[in-house]
Amino acid sequence: MARVTIDPVTRIEGHLRVEVEVDNGVIKDAWVSGGLYRGMETVLLGRAPADAFYVAQRICGVCPISHGHASTMGSEAAMGIKIPNNARIIRNIIEGAEALHSHILWFYTLTALDYVDVVSALSANIADTYALAEAAGTSTADFGAIQKRLKGFVEGGQLSIFTNGYWGHPAMKLSPELNLIAVAHYLEALEMQSEAAAIIAVMGGKFPHFMTSLPGGTVWIPTEQKLDDIYFRWQKVSNWINGAMIPDTIAIAAQYLPLAGYGKGVGNYLAWGVYDDKSMDPTKRAMPRGMLMGGLTLTQPDPAKIKEYIDHSWYESGDGLNPSVGETKAKFDAYSTDAKYSWVKAPRYDDKPVEVGPLSRMLVAYVAGDPDVKGLVDFTLAALGKAAGAAGPLPVTALQSLLGRVGARNLEAAFVAKKMGAWITELIDAVKGGDSTYFVDKSGEGEGAGLWEAPRGALGHWVGVKGGKISSYQVVTPSTWDCSPRDKNNVRGPMEEALVGTPIADPTKPLEALRIVHSFDP
Amino acid sequence: MAQEARAEFTELLAARGVSRRDFLKYCGSVAALLGMSEMYAPQIAAAVGKLQPALWMAHGLCTGCTESMAQVDNPDVPTVVLDLLSVNYWETVMAAAGTQAEDNVAATVAAGGYVLIVEGSVMLGENGNVLRIGGKPGIEELKTVAAKAAAVIAVGSCAVDGGWVAGAPNIANATGVSKFLKDSGINVPVINLPTCPVNPEWVVAMLVDVLLMGELADGSILKKLDDMGRPKLIFGSTIHDNCPRRGHFENGEFVVFGSPTQAADEAAGWCLYQMGCKGPTTQTNCPLVRWNHRSSWCVEAGSPCIGCGNANPITGGPGNWFDASAPFLTRHADVRLPGIGGVQPSTIGAVVGGVAAVGLVAHGLGSAAKGRVKGVPTETQKVHDAKMASKGGDK
Repeated sequence: MARVTIDPVTRIEGHLRVEVEVDNGVIKDAWVSGGLYRGMETVLLGRAPADAFYVAQRICGVCPISHGHASTMGSEAAMGIKIPNNARIIRNIIEGAEALHSHILWFYTLTALDYVDVVSALSANIADTYALAEAAGTSTADFGAIQKRLKGFVEGGQLSIFTNGYWGHPAMKLSPELNLIAVAHYLEALEMQSEAAAIIAVMGGKFPHFMTSLPGGTVWIPTEQKLDDIYFRWQKVSNWINGAMIPDTIAIAAQYLPLAGYGKGVGNYLAWGVYDDKSMDPTKRAMPRGMLMGGLTLTQPDPAKIKEYIDHSWYESGDGLNPSVGETKAKFDAYSTDAKYSWVKAPRYDDKPVEVGPLSRMLVAYVAGDPDVKGLVDFTLAALGKAAGAAGPLPVTALQSLLGRVGARNLEAAFVAKKMGAWITELIDAVKGGDSTYFVDKSGEGEGAGLWEAPRGALGHWVGVKGGKISSYQVVTPSTWDCSPRDKNNVRGPMEEALVGTPIADPTKPLEALRIVHSFDP
Repeated sequence: MAQEARAEFTELLAARGVSRRDFLKYCGSVAALLGMSEMYAPQIAAAVGKLQPALWMAHGLCTGCTESMAQVDNPDVPTVVLDLLSVNYWETVMAAAGTQAEDNVAATVAAGGYVLIVEGSVMLGENGNVLRIGGKPGIEELKTVAAKAAAVIAVGSCAVDGGWVAGAPNIANATGVSKFLKDSGINVPVINLPTCPVNPEWVVAMLVDVLLMGELADGSILKKLDDMGRPKLIFGSTIHDNCPRRGHFENGEFVVFGSPTQAADEAAGWCLYQMGCKGPTTQTNCPLVRWNHRSSWCVEAGSPCIGCGNANPITGGPGNWFDASAPFLTRHADVRLPGIGGVQPSTIGAVVGGVAAVGLVAHGLGSAAKGRVKGVPTETQKVHDAKMASKGGDK
């Protein structure tokens, strides 16, 4: 047994440490430690609900829209506000733009370097690269120029962000030509995520941290010019997702089929759902609310069944509380994987660890029978079945793996891209139809929860409002679920569990463990 | 010397497949951003010899400033990280992790001459353990890395003074880089770039200004900074000064929450001051540089400015933008609107601090208070403000 530590885990949002026990080239045990406590929930107490909307976003600079929306929805629930229909559509578009931005950035900028060997791309044959791109149905670029730029860069001897990467690692499986295609799209992806973010900027002022979805609705008012602007930006991003990101995903996945054999994790999935329809019923969201515990039988989650444990987290009180009455009192003593080892609490549903994220959402939507999700998943399973030389498509349970978790996120990008087109049209129709209500100026008091989804999974803001001020505030982020440490029963969190069983070729370069961690997009 | 450097640089660009014309175009845009003539562009280009080593360190952050950097398009991100800087450590985007990542820091510190960019608050709580990096309090690494840096750029309000994390009650004991380094006896120039997140255009401008123009070596960069370490060109005027909605302020045309014409008034681009806009008391050039490759900015989208650029690196916590500007949707007490009467600079001073108050008088409200338009009634002076005003404000 050898203890392998990765600290810092890079290409994530925030600070994470991972320790694993490796025996005979396989991970036998794992500990995931969140390294940062800032105290958002305390800072927001006594503030105005609108101030909470603006500032709670600063929990995450990659998914500020989701935090802003969950905060504002929590306050609205507490104050008894029902937002106008226009505000609902506008929030969906902004939320969708963040998902596109986040998924593109995650796959290419954060995760691709676990699978794509940048240095190998130097030896790609250019003609073969074009032929491969055509065969894979993915978009081409000036591959020769990109290889030349890369070559000059590598020969310059200063590798900048690529210094000390896992180049030539035995777990890297792509051909030089596929590596070059991926590098070309790695560069293009930076432009595309930024185009998606610009949709948010137009509708929200800037990204990250937007300005307009205040409790009560929205202060962004569409004009013809602004609608044109977001439409064409959406079209560009959407075309690229379908023309590059999806075919890249299938081409790369076909070379990594063994990754469908491990990384399943806890096998319990939760989605609060996201993108409200006209009814504002969370079970009717475009990405529906639902839960799968242990198998693929759909149930509806009950927020009252959530408890957060702190047996292995650096907090002094509040063990086993529901977030609606939760506490956050920091108290560091020492780092020890046998005792306390994380700033992340351990939320559990019915005392069980639960995975959240695109895989959970896609599985819930698939089981619920959403035709678009079903189409995307079935198409991919068929393509990979063919690549595996199997008689038919891979089974849907193949999604419950490292490969499935990576793939589900990219397929969700295609799903959201399609929906966004419909929402933009819906907004144009509403505006043309003469609906000019965007904001309700109302206050009230009570308690509520904004149960929503960030790109990386189920997100809840539990908010109390009294006398115009925030009286209680608790947040359970997607990474609180996925990166949670052990609980009172010493049961591992979802990421910890997914790490167990992962092969490690070289303990000094634990690339395969990074893949598992990154698959959760922490 | 300059000739040699230029030839060497041209080769470097050629080797990277970047045409000299493209690079000059980029340098031109940077020069324009800095308010310099484009004739400086060749000088900027000539100053580049090899890639400038840099470390981008993550402290008490949300990663929003890195995200913001990913939204820059001229130069684009690949140009910044492949052709201008050798960013040997940048957690969010670097290939290496764990031991390999830590090795990059050690090698860069040993070689020296690097620029240190810090994102996020400096976290002091629980003896520095509220942020742990590499199994130790994050502040330990910060001290090591800052001590050998040629210069430090604090990006975003959190790095400047703790930002919202330092908001009352500052439960995790956050502060800013300037204050922390000063308290730790580490003497290195710090350039402060507040706002939440940082505007990436400013970071690029600083990198060029400091590194490529050689202004660090001769110390001239320091003359371009104000007493809070902020570049005067970027933070020398208020948002109100340059706001495209300013005309509506002068006319007394305001968007008001809950008014039956709220949506129509917003669509017409009326002033957001009544909604609590902090433009008059926030010093940044947001209306000019804008955000997300110039696609929009907060006020254009219909939201009042929330003053995320207000920061006080000297106190390093008190004065953070959240406490300075909230409640965001309540306008600053006793700032008189057009048509109502005179401005009360001492009262404004009590609320927002002396420097900004002078700015208000010089740039905004003084000229507005001519009494030609009927505005809405103002609230009466609050007791606390009156008390502070009698003492001449909290200068």
